Amino acid sequence: MLVYDPATNPLNNNEWSFPLAECFHIAAFAMSVGTISILDLRLLGLGMLHQKPSELLKDTAMWTIAGLVITITAGLIIFTTDPLRYYYSDAFRYKMFALVVAIVYNYTIHRKVVQSDHTGFGAKLVAVFSLLLWISIVFAGLFYAFT
Amino acid sequence: MSAASIANAIQNTDFFTAMRESELVYPIVLSLHLTSIAVFGGMILMTDLRLLGLAMQKRTVTDVVTQLRVWKYVGFVIMISCGIMLGGAKFGTYYDNPYFQMKMSLLFLVGVHAMVFRRSVYGNTANIDRAPEVPRVAKVAACLSLALWLGIMSCGRWIAYFERPEDRPVRKAELIIDRTATPDLQSQHYTRGQS
Repeated sequence: MLVYDPATNPLNNNEWSFPLAECFHIAAFAMSVGTISILDLRLLGLGMLHQKPSELLKDTAMWTIAGLVITITAGLIIFTTDPLRYYYSDAFRYKMFALVVAIVYNYTIHRKVVQSDHTGFGAKLVAVFSLLLWISIVFAGLFYAFT
Repeated sequence: MSAASIANAIQNTDFFTAMRESELVYPIVLSLHLTSIAVFGGMILMTDLRLLGLAMQKRTVTDVVTQLRVWKYVGFVIMISCGIMLGGAKFGTYYDNPYFQMKMSLLFLVGVHAMVFRRSVYGNTANIDRAPEVPRVAKVAACLSLALWLGIMSCGRWIAYFERPEDRPVRKAELIIDRTATPDLQSQHYTRGQS
């Protein structure tokens, strides 16, 4: 039987590694959510209007994915500090569900709409849903700590 | 009047007391604080990376700086407003927290940074775009901006982990030893500082 005791995890046994992992997590999600927001603001007609949405996607795609990889890696490391508490937390379960939805959404519907350069009502709806989805993931991360 | 009594008086105003004691408002404001870091901090990051020639190279510096400017202002206002609510609610314990003090000093330097580089970089983007390469002063401004904001974010996180020597809890490593003797400690749930 595999027995894992979080008390043996190095992240629980020194003062700096846990907050450091959180800093990587936060800086990296700022990079991915920030770049996705730039696309959403563009779809909504609220920013970067000199560029087409598809041009902005090419500019930011690499940074979005790099941010996601670092965020999720740091997130997994943080998860190991107390897996059972995360597993039983409703906020965390929502966060994981929303994260999967958000990533799939971002690389399917959202991507298609951005590449089409349409900025009509449908595209605006896609942008609003994207923003709300990513913001809800940030909220769920915080609410995990408070519930 | 000591600094401690002033800080406690601020923390104990009705508004900040309500803020601190609310089970819902405090995490919501904290989430908004983090959301503005995500949305608008990401824009600052992209602007800095553009000045360094690492991202959005096909766009002019003018396009990147001016088209995101209003959103960075909006984000800054939301971030600071939430920050004042969060900091005020716990000002009695924050005012002498070294990470809080460092964070405030770095924020002050962000203001200095904006004033120092306004003329040469952020208000001078047309000339930067005409130059064959991004001038060194703009790259210096971008590096400093990155360093300041990453520093502010890290200090913000570390505020929650500052332990005064007098109320340092039992180290978790010590708990491991303890609980072989006291089995009930096996269910001990480690709590970690929440900002």
